[in-house]
Amino acid sequence: MSAKILGAVLIIFAAYYFGCSMSAVYKNRVRRLEDLLVSLEIFKAEINYGLSLLPEVFHSIAGKVRGPVGGLFTRTGEYMKMKEGFSAGECWRNSLRDRQVEMELAKGQMELLEKMGLIWGRGDKNDQLKQATLMQELLRQALHEARGERDKNEKMWRYLGLLGGITVVILLL
Amino acid sequence: MLNGHHNLIKEICPFLPPRIRSLVETLPLDLLKKVEEIRLRHSRPLMLHWTSGEAFLGKNGVVGRTEDACMISGEDLEKTLELISNHSLYAFEEELRQGYITLPGGHRVGLAGRAVVESGKVKLFSNISGLNFRLARQVKGTGEKVLPFLVERGSGRIFHTLIISPPQGGKTTMLRDLARLISDGVGILGQGQKVGVVDERSEIAGSYRGVPQLEVGIRTDVLDACPKAEGIMLMLRSLSPRVIITDELGREADVAAVTEAIHCGVTMISSVHGSSLEEICRRPVVAALLQNSYFERLIFLSSAKGPGTLETIVEGERGLPLFTSQSKGE
Repeated sequence: MSAKILGAVLIIFAAYYFGCSMSAVYKNRVRRLEDLLVSLEIFKAEINYGLSLLPEVFHSIAGKVRGPVGGLFTRTGEYMKMKEGFSAGECWRNSLRDRQVEMELAKGQMELLEKMGLIWGRGDKNDQLKQATLMQELLRQALHEARGERDKNEKMWRYLGLLGGITVVILLL
Repeated sequence: MLNGHHNLIKEICPFLPPRIRSLVETLPLDLLKKVEEIRLRHSRPLMLHWTSGEAFLGKNGVVGRTEDACMISGEDLEKTLELISNHSLYAFEEELRQGYITLPGGHRVGLAGRAVVESGKVKLFSNISGLNFRLARQVKGTGEKVLPFLVERGSGRIFHTLIISPPQGGKTTMLRDLARLISDGVGILGQGQKVGVVDERSEIAGSYRGVPQLEVGIRTDVLDACPKAEGIMLMLRSLSPRVIITDELGREADVAAVTEAIHCGVTMISSVHGSSLEEICRRPVVAALLQNSYFERLIFLSSAKGPGTLETIVEGERGLPLFTSQSKGE
């Protein structure tokens, strides 16, 4: 009997955990997009006032923005420093490919991130600032949608996990 | 300073797109050693230049016919521009306006393309159609021959000096070497002196992001990409040099600044384009300096036996020759 109870508790916990991790994806997407917005703000400030080189700017962003988004900029900076002849866009794409799983973004959001690679290193200061502002606008729209998704799905997945676990236990008993 | 082929492989190749880089890296050593320029022109063959020749570069190395050569595409130029600007074209706006970008090691990439003009001045070059990689090779020792003529016996003071030669005659190389010798201090000078280099076109010190890439001496301060007239005044006000070195005097403002420096007790060493005293005297701006005998030594260089051939050294005030090369004497 005690084994059955233990099994039932484990199933409920596992299902709840699954539900929580699914809801965390929606929460994390919002966080990533917020971090990307902050990164672009740092980028704009650095090139507007500091005129630092792009690898240095990415290093600076990575130092201020933690987590996978910071890691994405670190990795891109590393690709640039390899001096293998990659363009900044190629370095960004390679780095996105390396960090895709950690980013936990939806397909549309990843496509937006790929577009972000077209900004780096192209044009003069004004062009860069304009493009970064435009990208921030697109990210804000994506963030708005991601927040809606999060509000809709976050609690739902947690409850679904818990209820799913209880249903499985009832069926098994 | 690395030798020729190392320069090219280590310091130039990382700035070439992989397709072109692989062609350059496989070239024979003797060719790599003498290459002075790599030319990338839109829809035209990849070319190498050196003092006495040139070559087209194709998949199988040096090729004889243009049809076999590697043709440069717009994408190649775009990528190269991105690589030489370290993915940061926005940080090189001033260099783009001037038409060149300096690389680590003091090498320089000249730009050709469409000039965007604003208020009568070139604002930048857009639609880049050609890139010219010019390898910087420091030639040490060119100043050693002339230095004894530039130092006043007893006091050790260095005379105000003007170096005159046609383009590609070795003026900048001479100025750089004099900066190094005076700054480090050589036998005749005893201790080195504080030297200020106003390097408007980043040619003397070959600075990359403000840091000199070529040897200009341990007591030398460099004002990189700074207009000459302003730079000379800045030097006088804040860096207390004993000697100021700058190249290619040409504007009235430059002459005014040089005059100011000379009257402040600072030695001026500079250069002008020209092949003879008569020729430079026809340029009003330079003539004013010469008529006032501000320059105590005039050094004439030519390319007769290669760049930097020393022709004559003349005493400025009376025009007495202090040194005449054998070829000149004949």
